[in-house]
Amino acid sequence: MSELDRRDFLKLVGVGAGAAAAAGCSDPVEKLIPYVVQPEEITPGIPVVYASTCRECAAGCGLHVKTREARPIKLEGNPDHPVNAGTLCARGQAGLGRTYHPDRYAGPMERQGDQLVATSWDQGIAKLAEKVRANPGGVYVLGGDVGPTANALVDGWLESVGAGGRVIYDPLAPEALREAAQGLYGEALLPRFDLSSADLVIDFGSDFLETGPSPTEHARQWAQARDLARGQGGARLVYVGPRQSMTASNADEWIPAKAGSEGLVALAVARAAWEAGGRGADLAPYLADASVEDLATTAGVDAATLRSLGRAVSAAERALALPPGAALASRRAVASAAATLLVNEAAGSLGTAVTLEPEAPGRARASHREVLRLVEAMKSGKVSVLIVHDANPLYSLSETTGFGEALGQVDFVVATASLRDETSERAHLVLPDHTPLESWGDAEPRPGVRSLLQPTVRPLQDTRALVDTLHDTGRAVGASVPAGSFRTQLESAWGADLRQDLARGGRFGPTPASRPALSGAALKVAEPALEGEGELTLLAFPHPLLYDGTGAALPWLQEIPDPVTKVAWQSWAEISNATAERLGVEAGDVVRVATGAGALELPALPRGGIRDDVVAIPLGQGHTVGHFASLAGDGQPGEARGVNVIGVLPSVTDERGGRAWLTSRASVSKTGRFQRLPIVQATDNKRQRMLGEVVPLAALSGDEGHGADHASGHGGGHAALPLPYANEHAPIAVYDPEDDSVDDSPYRWGMAIDLDKCTGCSACVAACHMENNIPVVGEEGTLRARQMSWIRISRYLGEGTVDFIGSEGQSRRPRPENEQLGGTDVRHSPMLCQQCGAAPCESVCPVLATYHNPEGLNGMVYNRCVGTRYCANNCPYKVRRFNYFDYSRENWPGLLGLMANPDVTVRQQGVMEKCTFCVQRIEAARQPAKDAGRPIGDGEVVTACQQACPSQAIAFGNLKEDSSAVSRISDDDKRGYHALHVLNTRPAITYLAKVKRGSVEG
Amino acid sequence: MPPPPPPPPPAEAVASMLSPGARPRDSKINRDLLSVLEAPSLLYFGLLGLAILGVVQAVATLAYQTYVGLGIAGYQLPIFWGVYIVTFVFWVGIAHAGTLISAILYLFRAQWRNAINRGAEAMTVFAVLTAALFPLIHIGRIWKFYFLIPYPNQRGLWVNFKSPLLWDVFAVNTYMTISIVFFYVGLIPDLAIARDRATGWRKLLYGALSLGWQGTSRQWKAHNRTVLHLSGLATPLVLSVHSVVSWDFAVSIVPGWHATIFAPYFVAGAIFSGFAMVLTVMIPVRRIFGLEAYITDYHFENMSRFILLTSLIVGYAYASEYFIAWYSGVEAERTAFFLRAFGPYAISTWIMIICNAVLPQLLWIKRLRTNVPFLFVLAFTINIGMWFERYVIIIGSLSREYIPDTWGLYVPSPAELSILVGSFCWFSMFFLIFLKIFPVVAIAEVKELAIHEKAHGGAH
Repeated sequence: MSELDRRDFLKLVGVGAGAAAAAGCSDPVEKLIPYVVQPEEITPGIPVVYASTCRECAAGCGLHVKTREARPIKLEGNPDHPVNAGTLCARGQAGLGRTYHPDRYAGPMERQGDQLVATSWDQGIAKLAEKVRANPGGVYVLGGDVGPTANALVDGWLESVGAGGRVIYDPLAPEALREAAQGLYGEALLPRFDLSSADLVIDFGSDFLETGPSPTEHARQWAQARDLARGQGGARLVYVGPRQSMTASNADEWIPAKAGSEGLVALAVARAAWEAGGRGADLAPYLADASVEDLATTAGVDAATLRSLGRAVSAAERALALPPGAALASRRAVASAAATLLVNEAAGSLGTAVTLEPEAPGRARASHREVLRLVEAMKSGKVSVLIVHDANPLYSLSETTGFGEALGQVDFVVATASLRDETSERAHLVLPDHTPLESWGDAEPRPGVRSLLQPTVRPLQDTRALVDTLHDTGRAVGASVPAGSFRTQLESAWGADLRQDLARGGRFGPTPASRPALSGAALKVAEPALEGEGELTLLAFPHPLLYDGTGAALPWLQEIPDPVTKVAWQSWAEISNATAERLGVEAGDVVRVATGAGALELPALPRGGIRDDVVAIPLGQGHTVGHFASLAGDGQPGEARGVNVIGVLPSVTDERGGRAWLTSRASVSKTGRFQRLPIVQATDNKRQRMLGEVVPLAALSGDEGHGADHASGHGGGHAALPLPYANEHAPIAVYDPEDDSVDDSPYRWGMAIDLDKCTGCSACVAACHMENNIPVVGEEGTLRARQMSWIRISRYLGEGTVDFIGSEGQSRRPRPENEQLGGTDVRHSPMLCQQCGAAPCESVCPVLATYHNPEGLNGMVYNRCVGTRYCANNCPYKVRRFNYFDYSRENWPGLLGLMANPDVTVRQQGVMEKCTFCVQRIEAARQPAKDAGRPIGDGEVVTACQQACPSQAIAFGNLKEDSSAVSRISDDDKRGYHALHVLNTRPAITYLAKVKRGSVEG
Repeated sequence: MPPPPPPPPPAEAVASMLSPGARPRDSKINRDLLSVLEAPSLLYFGLLGLAILGVVQAVATLAYQTYVGLGIAGYQLPIFWGVYIVTFVFWVGIAHAGTLISAILYLFRAQWRNAINRGAEAMTVFAVLTAALFPLIHIGRIWKFYFLIPYPNQRGLWVNFKSPLLWDVFAVNTYMTISIVFFYVGLIPDLAIARDRATGWRKLLYGALSLGWQGTSRQWKAHNRTVLHLSGLATPLVLSVHSVVSWDFAVSIVPGWHATIFAPYFVAGAIFSGFAMVLTVMIPVRRIFGLEAYITDYHFENMSRFILLTSLIVGYAYASEYFIAWYSGVEAERTAFFLRAFGPYAISTWIMIICNAVLPQLLWIKRLRTNVPFLFVLAFTINIGMWFERYVIIIGSLSREYIPDTWGLYVPSPAELSILVGSFCWFSMFFLIFLKIFPVVAIAEVKELAIHEKAHGGAH
């Protein structure tokens, strides 16, 4: 026992004491654990991208899911996909959060008394099987479209167990348009609109840029149609609708017709166009009786305007009319939609800009009539088991349908929601489905285009695919169901080329179209007959971000303000300024909106851009379940955030049984309470400062003299400016990007933003949130103007006024100020860090936490920042954001932190942050370029905002390379300008002024 | 109405007030002035207790703020500086009077300063000590404050000498050092007097601090020379510190801040507020400790003349700012100034104008200049007015900047008010402790005056 001598003993004691001391005073050790067996396709630090399909709405955009170390961190558009061609809207971007969402069910849940408690899959399936076995005929499935393969399998399952039936439910499905086409052409066809080649677009309220049938696709096509290089400076847009929506704010002319009278206007336009020499089919049966004057009077618009529009339609090469969207679907929705198709017929656009397509065979057809029938069946006790999937009918069906009561009559309600919602919380059994990013699946947005979903991460919770749940139940009751899992069934349905299909994202073939002749009867277009009393028409419109409420669970969609009113995290009631004055309310005064079906109380938002006879309330809020959707995350579980307007809508159907949304009158009264609205933008008056500029089309039309007028001062360099201010300050207008990065650097990163293309959709804002780990601050933070978003979209109306006595300087209650009914001069202007060459923020930072990097970027060293906030004061663009609290810890509850982009520092409390042109993406592009010994090429770095932008309004690249896209675009001496150019900050972002094309003259 | 008699030359005037008749002898001066240091009353302990309580609550707020983040303050886009910076500038301004009185008036041989210079110097030191806390309270990561100091380090990190905030670090620290040295050097002879009369721990303290002062002519000579040189050093600092602080604003591009007038404007404002604070503090001290024989109405009158002068300068600066905003033709400037006067912060602006430029004009009237209660009230309103001046400049300007869609409003939060109150308590705490430990009137210098008077005795 002499091995351990005294010296060794002392050494050991010393080591032990040292180790104990070291362990005692340091943070707990976190280990980075390497892979034991390196997966073949994963290189740590290099993203792996999977093609998949977005399921946030029915448009079916293709996704590229960017994963890092087997964890999805960002969704981007699939460039090969015919629907979205590489871009992705805000809703699609935010969809990433569902997988990591704190509302997810951890596994199957079973009702015990008032509560849902965890159970096992075996028990859950056994219980469902028992109920199915007891009364197979009473089993009904209610839910959304789940893609062709799953639809077929669900239908097959229903048959094999002998179930009662299946009802497809999609609250905002374009049922009226389909019925209208059926009525006019006698075939089951769905019109599809291709805006890309149109030269005149009349939108009868479809709001195609935000909540229409395929917003991303239409925004891209619209940008193509709008291109200045096309004849006459690109297409014109005329908007018909009672309220200035985001789409309307992009229009050249807005005809504020009465809500629900779009069909009348369409008929008048069609008639006027026909009179002026309509092309195409014989429209006499439909238009002979129509009188433009009478129709215009009924619709509350000027007949001369409609005649002029009709002449324009007839004169246009390719005019296109889009049917009313869900918000304007009244009792007469089918006739209204048909009338808009007649405008297309009169314009001769059928077969070109408008194609009539057979419905995609795999696509399940939503039918409101069927839903109502199911509700009746539930009430009569015929339904013993109701399986609800991919839908939240308890929230989105009007209470007057009695769905909530009917649900109580159902013996056994099963929900397969992956995130808890109102319906699933009422269920007896929850058998949670995977989220789309964990799922296999497919979608068929239109015939010929079949898109695949593939899992990008192993399910984070104990979930099971809907089809597998049903099949397992089928097996338990002894029915004959297909063998294997949904995955194998999908593989066999897609056949041999699945691998290539997965890589591409699906199979994208041409869409067959038919060109049947008009055969239907004359239309019965009429004013909508509204229910109830009251002086105003209640317009319930889909929220551009929350849509029908499915987006409410996603905090980014709550945080991004509505592009029009700039309200976040709340519901609001839009009324006209005149109505507000009559009621004596101001922005934020709580009003009571009462219909025959109930009443709501919510803050009013007076604005100029809405008819006097309308009160408009967005859909989407008023959830009582959900961490972000309700007030649960704010410590008030069960309390609704905002109001659900569906609750006061009477249940009304259109001529063909489709769901009508424009159904009721409402009376609005003041309650005397006040609730400050979280409005992100203080004023829409730009006070004639150089922000969101506009140039008239005439100034661009190759008029050499015009350019020469202004050339003297700025020598034709980058961003010469034929705009206000330019002449006054000509000597400092010259901007040479060479000055702003070091001489031997080959790069000066720069951006060009084309305001003529920007629609205000906010996809860039969502993309920036997701890419750069930007936290959300919630309603409270928004009320205190502490939003963190690095990019915002400022919305200005006109040039603004420098009106010292005006209200905007005094206002403590922000609201849209300069809007006018029928006004169109709206400028959506994205504002992000301008990466100034002479940056005011850099010189004032005492610790050099913000500095100019050799490539011209305005860098930000988060670890060095002490938070003096001087930079933010001195930033004229107000793009710097301060971490008031430890947002990164507080505002990513549950697993949400797992979606953080590992390439971007998560910022600590007390530091400043801001846009750095996605410097992590620049670095990612630098490595391969360096390996190959070449400079970074044009287009190799794509910023997150640029990537997402559906209208491709953003160009990014190297300003030192003359041939780069951004250099070429920035050189536009007719439209290019720098924001607040008088300050001579030498921004790296060149804005291209929006073009004012003037109203449409026929 | 007969014209008022011209004021007597300062030295004689003081001397005449110290006389006539029984001219106090050295021993009486010693007794009178050191009696202030006698055992404190219950009221004193009550006040000190309140002050300490105020400091403790502010420290608790600061601890909480450090833990959860600056979100508990009222900051919001676009107002990233608030009450903390307002209060910082306010206290730096207060700190000006002491050095002005000690250094500049010393150099100009304005001997009436002798009675008030100790109090003013103490006030300066404590005001700088208060002000110096605010940049730290204000920053987002207080635990990284040392990043602001240029120290050699392996990471090769350096500070940005282009940033006015860094200039602040140096300006305030330099000023703090000089004012503490000045204060202490002046104290040495008095500490020796106190030492000679003290017992117990006080004797030990004064003994150590008086550095073996014997009052020999050699020591006096060295002392006077030191004071003279320190005055020479301190004089430019009086002008530079607040100039540098003003450049925090003037160097930026914020409309309402970016103005060349800021340095003289701020220095005048600082002296203005500094004298007001001396009055606010010394009037009660004189009353409570019965020092009317030493700090006389004549001193107060002279200070109110300074206040009147600086008020005119400040008033001129206000007018000039508006004129330049209009004359520049820059819309953003015009808007910022218009909204300052008539926008959401109009009340603050009018408080500032009335308290700082209008009310002090009453000092043209001699009756009011010599009316001590009036002076006390006026000085108090000036303190309020000067705090609001900084509030208007900082918050009023930030709230209405270049991008109208980010305009916003800032309201101070309870946390900020807690620390604001705490700063006054912190200052008062030091001053109260000072009153009982060090002589509040410079004994040696008052004696000097008396000797001076004796030498010229009966000449007038």
